Amino acid sequence: MRPFDFVEPSDLDSVLALIAERDPGTQLVAGGTALFLLMKLGLVQPRRVVSLRRVAGLDGVRATPDGGIEIGALVSHRAAATSPLIRAYDATLAATFHGVATVRIRNQATVGGNIVHADPAQDPPPILMVLDGSAVLRSGAGERVVPLDGLFVDYMETAVRPDEVLTAVRLPPRPSGLRTAYLKFLPRTADDYATVSVAAAIALDDDREVRDARIALGAAGPVPFRAREAERSLLGRQLDAERIRDAAALARAAADPLDDVRGSAGYKRQMAGVWVRRALERFASVGPEARA
Amino acid sequence: MTGVETIGRTGARVDGPAKVTGRAQYAADVNLPGQLWAGILRSPHPHASIVRIDATRARAMPGVHVVLTGADVGTIRYGRRLMDVPVLVADRARFVGDKVAAVAAESPALVDAALATIEVEYAELAPIFDPLEAMRPDCPPIHPDYRAYQGLPASIPDLPNVLAVETVARGDVDAALAAADVVVETTMAFPAVHHAYIEPHACLVSPQADGSFRIWASNKNPFLLREQLAAAFALPADQLIIEPTFTGGDFGGKGSPMEVPVCLALARAAGRPVKLVMSYLEELQAANPRHPTIATLRTGATHDGRLLAHDARFVFNSGAYGGYKPLPTLNLAASHHAAGVYRIPAARVESTMVYTNQVPGGHQRAPGEVQATVAMEIQMDRLAERLGIDPLELRVRNAVEDGDVGPLGEPWQDITLRQCIEQAREASGWGGPKAPRTGRGIAVCQRAAAGGQSNAEVRLAPDGMIEVITGTNESGAGGLTVLAEIVARRLGVPIEQVRVHVEGTDVGGFDQGPSGSRFTFVGGNAALAAAEELVRALTPLAAEVLGGAADSVVLEGGQFVDRTRPGSTVSFRDLAARSPAGDRSGRGAFSGKAPNRTSFAAQVAEVEVDGDTGQVDVRRIVGVHDVGEIISRQGLVGQIDGGIAWGLGYALMEELRIEDGRVTTTHFGDYRIPSIADMPPFESILLTDSRGDGPFGAKAVAELSLLPTAAAIVNAIHDATGAWILDLPVTAEKVLAALEGPGDRTAG
Repeated sequence: MRPFDFVEPSDLDSVLALIAERDPGTQLVAGGTALFLLMKLGLVQPRRVVSLRRVAGLDGVRATPDGGIEIGALVSHRAAATSPLIRAYDATLAATFHGVATVRIRNQATVGGNIVHADPAQDPPPILMVLDGSAVLRSGAGERVVPLDGLFVDYMETAVRPDEVLTAVRLPPRPSGLRTAYLKFLPRTADDYATVSVAAAIALDDDREVRDARIALGAAGPVPFRAREAERSLLGRQLDAERIRDAAALARAAADPLDDVRGSAGYKRQMAGVWVRRALERFASVGPEARA
Repeated sequence: MTGVETIGRTGARVDGPAKVTGRAQYAADVNLPGQLWAGILRSPHPHASIVRIDATRARAMPGVHVVLTGADVGTIRYGRRLMDVPVLVADRARFVGDKVAAVAAESPALVDAALATIEVEYAELAPIFDPLEAMRPDCPPIHPDYRAYQGLPASIPDLPNVLAVETVARGDVDAALAAADVVVETTMAFPAVHHAYIEPHACLVSPQADGSFRIWASNKNPFLLREQLAAAFALPADQLIIEPTFTGGDFGGKGSPMEVPVCLALARAAGRPVKLVMSYLEELQAANPRHPTIATLRTGATHDGRLLAHDARFVFNSGAYGGYKPLPTLNLAASHHAAGVYRIPAARVESTMVYTNQVPGGHQRAPGEVQATVAMEIQMDRLAERLGIDPLELRVRNAVEDGDVGPLGEPWQDITLRQCIEQAREASGWGGPKAPRTGRGIAVCQRAAAGGQSNAEVRLAPDGMIEVITGTNESGAGGLTVLAEIVARRLGVPIEQVRVHVEGTDVGGFDQGPSGSRFTFVGGNAALAAAEELVRALTPLAAEVLGGAADSVVLEGGQFVDRTRPGSTVSFRDLAARSPAGDRSGRGAFSGKAPNRTSFAAQVAEVEVDGDTGQVDVRRIVGVHDVGEIISRQGLVGQIDGGIAWGLGYALMEELRIEDGRVTTTHFGDYRIPSIADMPPFESILLTDSRGDGPFGAKAVAELSLLPTAAAIVNAIHDATGAWILDLPVTAEKVLAALEGPGDRTAG
């Protein structure tokens, strides 16, 4: 690893001042579980690393006045998995954080770091995307809020500008009756990255017709993405085997996965369909009041 | 004393306390005043001539003490047997990761900075990755000077890039195949697999004023390392002192000189201690993984399932060098596993070792033997399918028994194979009902300890403790605990009274190291002999203390007893305190060949296959292992459980991916090994009635348990799905492709 300067500011303004120049040699770090691996492999070689660990105000999970929640960027996966606020907001979200890697990683890796790392195989982005999450970005020029569906630009690339810090993930008030599921396909080892993953959020009306449908896929393309056509195909319909099959086919068609050690692109595309179907079947097989 | 020291604990490993407290010293933990750090510049090309190296800038950097290239080192080559690995390549790089230049500097960061300034001009040569292509008569040789190397095999093959061929045969195989009712032919492929030990290779070389070198290295064979370095550098062996260290996992991979020669060259040039720790990227790209292998088997039988003939050919992909193989044949020991544990009148096994332009292969737990066993045991199920005979029954019909020789004339004794199979049948519920998409598979094997030499000393210390002095490093497998258990048992003292002390090569007696399942047999018998000698030496001293005659004093229940006078006893502790100064030490040596009393095993795997995804879930493994007398139960169970985990990883997930000669699984995020969550319930049955040639009748288990697992899993997948997946690892994608048959899956 190349030598680098390590800076640990204690307030956000100092961080923003350090990155205001948009110097490509400056790199922010939170938990470091991803960045330091990339640095060890020589794929990222910053001259200066700015740690967010001592910056006040970036941790904690808060209820927002509108009934949603805001998860600070420095909240660890472990803290997110055990947060009563997150559990109450969406148990699947808490469980997803609990299912990331191992407890050693979960204690270190942060919610914000996970998002800006933008590895398409990460677990939290798809479930955050079906919950309509947004990233809160701060720079010297102020704050902007960018929906996660739109934040991921390309493989390990986001719309976060070099002079911005992701300070929190914001989740809107949860619609009533919305049920969620997150499934990840781990055909090799139980602690592997997903070969493909699927998050789904479904709300049925009293006639058991789909009122709200959101499907997001991980590891099925260069970025985690919402399968919008598949979602639309379900609206106003009964969640029966045929509809599910059609939606799964649409999601599979939207997948554009990469060949890697977890499978060929063709296999992953096929698995995207299988796992979207399995995720949707969870909602079809239980009553409207039960949680998936 | 300066060596590594451990003290026994009942039921626990003697090295446990040192490890959990961080006191255990590994090579990378050692630091010396004035020490420099080292790093290696490696070839980015799989095959290239080196046109020019310009290290001027690196040499001019303040804090950089030594920069070496192949031109500086000269043609020094090393190896465990064949000396074909250059310390630094001078003219030609033969794989991505070959060592081109090395730097010793005052900090690791400076090393990296200096390496980055070295300019190398390469002229790329056509790389050869396919071993079958490499063997073609018109293929250019990767080692044009092969015949000039030291350590060549007895007969030199005359095909390009073939460094060794070995054929072991019995009977007229061709005639027997021609006469068979059915002949099944199978070709299988096995991947390169890394050992995934926790500790990467590391060493520290310290030049001494008298011209000698003190060396700390993560190497399990200190005495062999000393010989290999002495041969390469033309130094007297006693000028090379290998200090004791703990080894952070071996699994066969820590027996090669690896990075020690380049570190030695740097230290010699610097005149200062030099430390080199390989990164895990270097480990995965440029260490000594298990050989990728192509196996082709033809087996003939009668309609009623009697084996008549077996013909097996193995092509082992040696990669760029052959120097990481210790056998004089330069081959892997596949032969005596490749025809299984069956009565076969005619059998032939041919093993060919071929150079290619990829990472060189080395030894890994049951090298060649696991490929051979897995291939044969899958072949048995394919034959059973063809004949319409239950796979377990087919094995019973052909299993060797006492009085038989093995298929290649192996003189096995006290054969327990049928017991293993019958116990596995019963415990697994073989033949019982199965859920849909669920299958069972069986595989069987044998594995004896390797022969070898070892020395030990056992002495009564002034504080009353029993000290075992050995020259073996603790490789992680529990060898030191085995020594303590053996000595404690022979002397009748609690293991808490036994201290194990590891000495370096300058003090300790020669030991061949914990390889080939040999340590309990070879090292254990040396320690047992030393304990016997101690008893012999102490008996007259005890008689003197007891005031009796030496010939009436015996060791009983951990005390010396005068049989002529009831109640007249002296313990080891009392003897240490009360006896006059005298010889309180026993030395023992052992040298022996691999015993004919081998170990047998049978394993049954039960799997469930997901028909939509191809995912294989191993639900259960039943293992029956004939282990003889148990010396250290925890160590034995660990070896067996660990072997099963290795076999499961080998079957389903482990693969060092190599694309265009470049290893692309560059970290443990991509290179997966089983985690605890991947391990199925394992029901273990130990057969302990038979007796082996280890101390107290112990048999070898270290490699035994690994051998059949992958075949049992592949056979179970076939039982569940009807599909044969014949290239490991059996990924979900391969299973699904086999289930769906040929066609465009993406449209499905």
